[in-house]
Amino acid sequence: MSLFDKFEKTAALYNQLSEMGKNPFTVVMEEVLGPTRAMIKGRETVLAGTHNYLGQTFEPKAIAAAKEALDNEGTGTTGSRFANGTFAGHKRLERDIADFLGMKHCVVFSTGYVANLGAIAGLIDPSEDAVLVDADCHACIYDACSLSGAETIRFRHNDPDSLDKRLSRLDPKFKGKLVCIEGMYSMYGDTAPVKEFVEVAHRHGAMLLVDEAHSFGVYGKTGKGVAEAEGVMDKIDFYTGTFSKALAAIGGFVASNHPQAEYLRFSSRPYKFTASPSPATIASAGAALKNIKETPAIREALWANAERLHAALTQFGLRLASGPAPVISVLLPTKEEAFAAWNFLLDQGVYVNMAIPPGTPGKDSLLRLAVSSAHTGDDIDQLVAAYGAMAEAFQAARVTA
Amino acid sequence: MTAQQPGVQADDDLVYRRICTLLEPLNQKGVKLHRDIDLVADLEVDSVSVLDIVMDIEDYYDISIPVNTISETKTIGQLVDAIHAIKGQQS
Ligand SMILES: Cc1ncc(COP(=O)(O)O)c(C=O)c1O
Repeated sequence: MSLFDKFEKTAALYNQLSEMGKNPFTVVMEEVLGPTRAMIKGRETVLAGTHNYLGQTFEPKAIAAAKEALDNEGTGTTGSRFANGTFAGHKRLERDIADFLGMKHCVVFSTGYVANLGAIAGLIDPSEDAVLVDADCHACIYDACSLSGAETIRFRHNDPDSLDKRLSRLDPKFKGKLVCIEGMYSMYGDTAPVKEFVEVAHRHGAMLLVDEAHSFGVYGKTGKGVAEAEGVMDKIDFYTGTFSKALAAIGGFVASNHPQAEYLRFSSRPYKFTASPSPATIASAGAALKNIKETPAIREALWANAERLHAALTQFGLRLASGPAPVISVLLPTKEEAFAAWNFLLDQGVYVNMAIPPGTPGKDSLLRLAVSSAHTGDDIDQLVAAYGAMAEAFQAARVTA
Repeated sequence: MTAQQPGVQADDDLVYRRICTLLEPLNQKGVKLHRDIDLVADLEVDSVSVLDIVMDIEDYYDISIPVNTISETKTIGQLVDAIHAIKGQQS
């Protein structure tokens, strides 16, 4: 029994919410109707809490490619990248991602989570290296640090001076130093000053890893990410990404210009000890990548939707976490209000994400709206109407509250 | 800089007081603070808030406290001792 004791308090809360049928963490998509709609609790709902930024979940070319791979290569690889799980498709996709990013090397992993574990723990030797991590980095980067066993120092979010100080203080015994940041941060939709981080990291002889999980395909002139928008694609040491968002599949990767990045194929346990993505997954990710590369209009549609929603929510006086971005978060002072507002939106036929501390960067709770290029005019109208009603009903969500 | 041995007691006390001040706004149940208070179990402070408090301490004393060290501490007293040890090493 004692193994379970520590969970009892949380379990009581979780069960209570579930019984009321209002638990944001037990939502089921009962039937998927398209890239932006699903049935939830028997009701047709607009999905605005996904990571389907470029609306590729039902891209016909991606579906056709996946079906073909399924027919020709079977359902699964039944093995890891290191052993029997590397098919021609995995190698082709690595080439395509590297070409898209204009980088020389790419290693595909089973998920984005695994790619960060693989990159960080695969590069770091705890006896001689240290890792420096942005305070708001995703859990998988912190888990990667734990897995590496290395000394891990946290610096203030998006604050290159804070990193500078910590690198200056670092014990000279550390031979290798890795700095980890993200491109766009998923909770507030804010972006990193990547250019300044490159300067600080390199001045101290550290390498820089940028996780562009949420910004790949979305930011920059050609969709390479925030590093492209900042004009420093050629200066970052490691670029990590995922297939689970803009590419609407599952898988992850590490790209680099350092030829030694290929060493990850033997140094990285998360590369060696988990099965590789299935052939259909690789095929759909590849087709989605080709599609977004050839069709800049998809990215433009995403940004047009983001601007429109951001303007509408600003006009309602809602307290927003950042400027127009594919993630638009409304801040609420308490968990209870966030919970009530989340349910209110769901009752209006709108699904967004709810995040509460410690899953959020600050003390605020938030409702996170993730925009998709596939949101139609009707979807947007419904979102705007629901948020308008919410702004009326929840003083606490407004700037003037 | 300062002579280490004689300074320990007074300095330790200052670190302790600084941590208590930083914890006060998070101490919603009004628990009386002392060295044996468990941050998570007694104060119900989440792990990220502990990291944020430590960030303030780092900047105040101009030291770096690894995340690894923080995850090994449970009580206020253990945190004070860990910070104290690092202050000794890094100054
Ligand atoms: C910043 C960041 N990195 C990595 C991941 C993990 O990606 P995946 O879903 O492919 O495991 C996520 C998504 O949850 C993320 O937000």
